[in-house]
Amino acid sequence: MGQLLVMPKLGLTMTEGTIVEWFKKEGEEVKKGEKLFAVETSKLTNEVEAPASGVLRKIIHKDGKLAVLEPVGILAGADEDISDLLKKAGSSENLEAEKKVEKQEKPKIEKEEVKNTGGRIKASPKAKKLAKELGVDLSKVEGTGPGGAISIEDIENYQPEKETNVKTSPTAEKVAENLGVDINKIEKSERIMKDDVIGYKNFEMLKEMADPKETREKMTNMRSVISERMSQSQQISAAVHYNLSVDTREMKRLRDKLKPIKKITYTDIIVKIVSRVLLEFPILNSSVDGDEIIKRNYTNIGVAVALDEGLIVPVVKYANIKGLKTISDDIKELADKARSNTLQPDEMSGGTFTVSNLGMFNIESFTPIINQPEVAILGINTIKETAVKVDGELQFIPMMTLSLTADHRVVDGSVAAQFLNRLKEYIENPNILIL
Amino acid sequence: MKLLILGGGPGGYVAAIKAAHLGAEVTLVDKKYIGGTCLNVGCIPTKVLLNTTDLYHTIKNDGKNMGILSEKLSVDWGKLMRRKTNISNSLVKGVEGVLASNGVEIIMGEGKFTSKNQIEVLKEDGTKDIIDFDKAIIATGSEPVILPIPGIQGENILTSSEILSLEKLPESLCIVGGGVIGCEFASLFSRLGVEVTIVEMLPGIVQNMDQEVVQYLDFELRNEGVEILTNSKVEKFNSGEDFVEITAATPEGEKIIKADKVLLSIGRKSVVNNIGLEKIGIEYDRTIKINKKFQTNIPNIYAIGDCTGGAMLAHAASAQGIAVVENIIKNKSKMDFKTVPYCIYTKPEVASVGMTEEQVKEKGISYSVGKFPLMSNAKALILGETNGLVKFIVDNSTDEILGMHMAGPKATELIVEGALALRLEATIDEILTTIHAHPTVGEALHEAAHGVHGYPIHLPK
Repeated sequence: MGQLLVMPKLGLTMTEGTIVEWFKKEGEEVKKGEKLFAVETSKLTNEVEAPASGVLRKIIHKDGKLAVLEPVGILAGADEDISDLLKKAGSSENLEAEKKVEKQEKPKIEKEEVKNTGGRIKASPKAKKLAKELGVDLSKVEGTGPGGAISIEDIENYQPEKETNVKTSPTAEKVAENLGVDINKIEKSERIMKDDVIGYKNFEMLKEMADPKETREKMTNMRSVISERMSQSQQISAAVHYNLSVDTREMKRLRDKLKPIKKITYTDIIVKIVSRVLLEFPILNSSVDGDEIIKRNYTNIGVAVALDEGLIVPVVKYANIKGLKTISDDIKELADKARSNTLQPDEMSGGTFTVSNLGMFNIESFTPIINQPEVAILGINTIKETAVKVDGELQFIPMMTLSLTADHRVVDGSVAAQFLNRLKEYIENPNILIL
Repeated sequence: MKLLILGGGPGGYVAAIKAAHLGAEVTLVDKKYIGGTCLNVGCIPTKVLLNTTDLYHTIKNDGKNMGILSEKLSVDWGKLMRRKTNISNSLVKGVEGVLASNGVEIIMGEGKFTSKNQIEVLKEDGTKDIIDFDKAIIATGSEPVILPIPGIQGENILTSSEILSLEKLPESLCIVGGGVIGCEFASLFSRLGVEVTIVEMLPGIVQNMDQEVVQYLDFELRNEGVEILTNSKVEKFNSGEDFVEITAATPEGEKIIKADKVLLSIGRKSVVNNIGLEKIGIEYDRTIKINKKFQTNIPNIYAIGDCTGGAMLAHAASAQGIAVVENIIKNKSKMDFKTVPYCIYTKPEVASVGMTEEQVKEKGISYSVGKFPLMSNAKALILGETNGLVKFIVDNSTDEILGMHMAGPKATELIVEGALALRLEATIDEILTTIHAHPTVGEALHEAAHGVHGYPIHLPK
């Protein structure tokens, strides 16, 4: 049996959808359950499967927007006559009518039958013509002319009786009429009562006031890459998050003391410390490849740089053998290149660990996402004067939280904790660096 | 789940059976009788007396006219009392049987909560049962209000429960309170030849129902010789050996009424004392406080029916009994109180569902009324009861039926059409297009519906 394929109603509020792709060509054989076409709504994209096996004989609606339940194609046997279906698809009203007959409540059908048994319809030729033009069914128009003949006025005044396809209380129908609500749009498995109509109307009015709008734009390439990588990372790694507060006074002192000689940032210092400490904890500097763990005797530290279009992570190569000055210069240069979009591909690859600083945005702690194929990332946060009890007295100390995300596939909690504590030790006493 | 129900009236026992249907392990505790006030000293026994009264009164007044000849027609009060007791007993037995067949354990005794999950039942033989439960439903019902009027302790001053066990008919009766209960007894005793006086504080009898239909009752009561003193207040009772002198302040000044018996029907109050509510901290003032799910402030303890105030009607309590159990076991239940019918089993019967005309006015709803007097109804004429009226109140914006009110024969039976219409949110059109059997009193409903936007068929224009 051939059948019309229609734009599916995929959600309560869906009124139209956009066909973005046909997976089958006209004339192609289709098995039941195979993907036929993709529909995009304001919320998501859905793949519609073939309801039966057959041949996709006709694609009526190739792409673009279409109201729900409107025909999009015809699925039928290879040699089947589909002229009827084509005809049906040609006039959406016919389709609508057919649907209604199925769903109609009995009393309505009876009403129509009564009217149709009236026999010959009396109408002036002009009236007949007008009816044809306006698509008015003459059998439904009550004539007021001589002998019950239908006049032009009758046709002009004729308003098609609204059909109700749902179960409603009589009062609910009246209320819907009074409030101008199309009762068929109310979704409810039980009988629709008065309060449902009022609730629907209230929501409609709310929607009107809110005037909600959505816009759509294509992702930039960069955004696509970030999007794909981030979700991929969340799927691959067994991310665990660790937070630890550190006293930043010594780090500040180091920075201040170096200032006359060389301006360095906290990020520079932390990258330096991290590249040193990672050698003590090679598992945090590793990668997973299949069932093997790749460990290194070097550290390439990625430093996340925020750009307007997105995020980019240039890499300080072999930071473990670089001095603080070189690291600082590297980071500055890489960031500048990133901002001027002149980074070379190899400057953005080969990282073994990443540092991401959100301190300048006053963030106190967060859960960074691991930059694949690495297994850990360190988030740096804002420095905040915090009351700490020292020798029985309250002191305000500039504290900072280190936010580490580590992949539990290889990094166990205790190892991650020890790593963080080792970082703390260094940050609170950077003099160790010269040992 | 172990469910305890305290109180075996129409709220409690219905809840017990429904809970058993849904698989709960149910224990029902009642201090006095299964069936509660309704089956034992309320709805059922009064209706037995009213039924006999109807028959007696019809034959006495209309017998000749209807072709029944009778000599020395009289009521055998003693036999009537026995029939009343028998019917109550057989209904109680029936309920007990249904409870037993559903595996509900019945414990007779005074239940007092001792904790949120335990109740202690003091049985008649002095022993105590301790019952643990997961959830409990309080359905302790209500009892007649007794006001602190001087002399109210007199032994001829009775409540509705006590008046049902009179050994013989009094010659005169003074009814304090012209509400539903007062009017039923007035209609009953006056038709049995008792001289009845009603003393009512408010401007009229049965003030909570649609006044236009209540008028028909007022008329009939007065017609039977009932004296109705409105805006009047009893100040004191002086009890003699076998009579009471009632002093009432009336708009015409102080009035002294002498009657064999006095019936106190001022109202009913929730039973909330001596069941351990304080002990476990359940909030109540005059009634037990509940939320929409019938939950008290103690989440595993629920309360339904008269003890929570509200309509104080058996059928309302039963509906709540079902709803609360569905709530507890299936966590779903909607209780729509708008279809609770109000019925008075007087002559004429008065029944009401939905909003009264007074309420609709107060709410400022634009409405239409359709009425039909039973004078023009064939079946009412056959029954010899044409004193009555059917009245529909309809919302003008939608034609939704907001209320149906009726006085007349079968009113308490026919009100179900109005209740169903309300439940279905029917418009008057649904009544109009429903074919009503002929000849029936129910046709009057159809005719009243015609009257909403046009004219009843069988009335001269």
